[in-house]
Amino acid sequence: MNVHFKLTVALLDGIVADLRRPHPFAAERAGFIGCKLTKCSTGTLVLAHTYISLPDDWYVDDERFGCVFNSQAMRAAMQFALTNDASIFHVHLHDHSGLPWFSRPDIRESAQYIPDFWNVKPMLPHGTLVLSADAAAGLCWYPEIKKPIRISRITAVGFPMRFLGGNR
Amino acid sequence: MPTEGELRELDPLSGGAKEYVEFGLTYILLPELRLPNGCSPAAVDALLCLSQRDGYPTRLFFAQPIASKNGLNWNAQNVAILQRTWFAYSWNYVASGRPIEVLAQHLKALR
Amino acid sequence: MKDVHVRQSFLGEHSDELLASVRIGVVGLGGGGSHIAQQSAYLGIGRFAFFDPDFTDFPNLNRTVGATLADANAKTPKVAVAERVVKSVNPNAEVWAIQTEWQKDFDSLRACDVVFGCLDGFSQRAQLEESCRRAMTPLIDIGMDVHKGDPYSISGQVVVSMPGLPCFRCVGFVRAKDLDEEGRRYGVAGGNPQVVWSNGVLASTAIGVFVQMLAPWCSIRNGSRFIGYDGDAFTLEHDARLTVVSQVRCEHFSSITDLGDPFWKA
Repeated sequence: MNVHFKLTVALLDGIVADLRRPHPFAAERAGFIGCKLTKCSTGTLVLAHTYISLPDDWYVDDERFGCVFNSQAMRAAMQFALTNDASIFHVHLHDHSGLPWFSRPDIRESAQYIPDFWNVKPMLPHGTLVLSADAAAGLCWYPEIKKPIRISRITAVGFPMRFLGGNR
Repeated sequence: MPTEGELRELDPLSGGAKEYVEFGLTYILLPELRLPNGCSPAAVDALLCLSQRDGYPTRLFFAQPIASKNGLNWNAQNVAILQRTWFAYSWNYVASGRPIEVLAQHLKALR
Repeated sequence: MKDVHVRQSFLGEHSDELLASVRIGVVGLGGGGSHIAQQSAYLGIGRFAFFDPDFTDFPNLNRTVGATLADANAKTPKVAVAERVVKSVNPNAEVWAIQTEWQKDFDSLRACDVVFGCLDGFSQRAQLEESCRRAMTPLIDIGMDVHKGDPYSISGQVVVSMPGLPCFRCVGFVRAKDLDEEGRRYGVAGGNPQVVWSNGVLASTAIGVFVQMLAPWCSIRNGSRFIGYDGDAFTLEHDARLTVVSQVRCEHFSSITDLGDPFWKA
């Protein structure tokens, strides 16, 4: 199954700017992206619309991990999904050049909380993205499919277009 | 914007009427709308546009052209709305308002 | 295919690979679209979706690039002509020749990275823009008109609808009154005058805009999204309307409900 994630260049730049902001204690920031979906002849398009930035006090100080967010963050994302009939994609940044990938803790933790979004939107896929300075990667959990699917393509639409990752 | 009550008034003709807004225009999807006698097919998905578009104050679109007793000018063909294609005959000057009344005015063309 | 694109290497180290991997849609393979198909093949685009239900015929042979007298005699589908043109340059190109109205194959349209709109009429343009916006696909629209009068006058435009940026309605390219007027017209509007050279100018400009979108060779000028063509003076100019609205947030396609499939089923 091919999944193509698309967002505007403006949204991408806004997300990266937000994720680059220093935090009092978290080593990394995170956020959520509200998305809509459609099918195409090559698979599924995930279309990003709204970025949910997490305020500083929605993070939990936990030395074991670079970024831990609290239940308020999850509630905000779930509320968005419910209100807007949207898929939710978690997003964070590895601020280097080149293709990023998820750390083992990233994958382990994502596998725990991403499926929680099915509590509000059980028929929609949800997932997670990791951005770098010039590329991106993602995983998508489809309903009733246990293992996440690697997002095939990630495109930032704008002037100029940025093909951020995966097979074009 | 139709109320929930106004949507439910449509149930005898089409179970599950639902409102959609696309690019600022208000539509009511009417699944399997039951058409007047003599129409073929007897029921078809329809889309009632309650907003002004293309020179019509309201318009009734169908998932396919309908064969009826009257010769109608199907001047809207393969119109893309809500990522489906629709067809409509020319039946103008039906003002927007209560959906059941707007629908009745448009269906007059098929009687 | 070695060295075919060596003279366009200034477009970037990986531009060949990028262009070969992109899938473009061309909606309408008539006077404008046939030029687009030809030029994009020469450019090195590797994947094409062509949409047009129409056939080559004698009245359109004067402007359908790639079509032959034999095609007019045989009424070869325009998408078949375009496919043949592409494959004559790049036999490895992937071509989806969709001989129907584009509204009957949304799935194939949505799979395109960029769409070229080469249609007649504002209603068709508005619908195509709406569908492209739903799939977050940039749309490059071209069109020309021969204005009847004494004397005649030729004009045209290349207009880009880029998700997140002002749309056709924002820049005044598609107006409610034009849609209303078209909607009230009964039956087919009839054949408007059409000529090959203006279509060529506009198609070439659109291809240049497309290349800038993917592999810019210079800094992108803000005006390169609405270019007006004066076919009598032979000039291309940035349309002043874009300057006025370029900082305006598009309100026509801003809602989340305007994205994706309203009837999504997993």
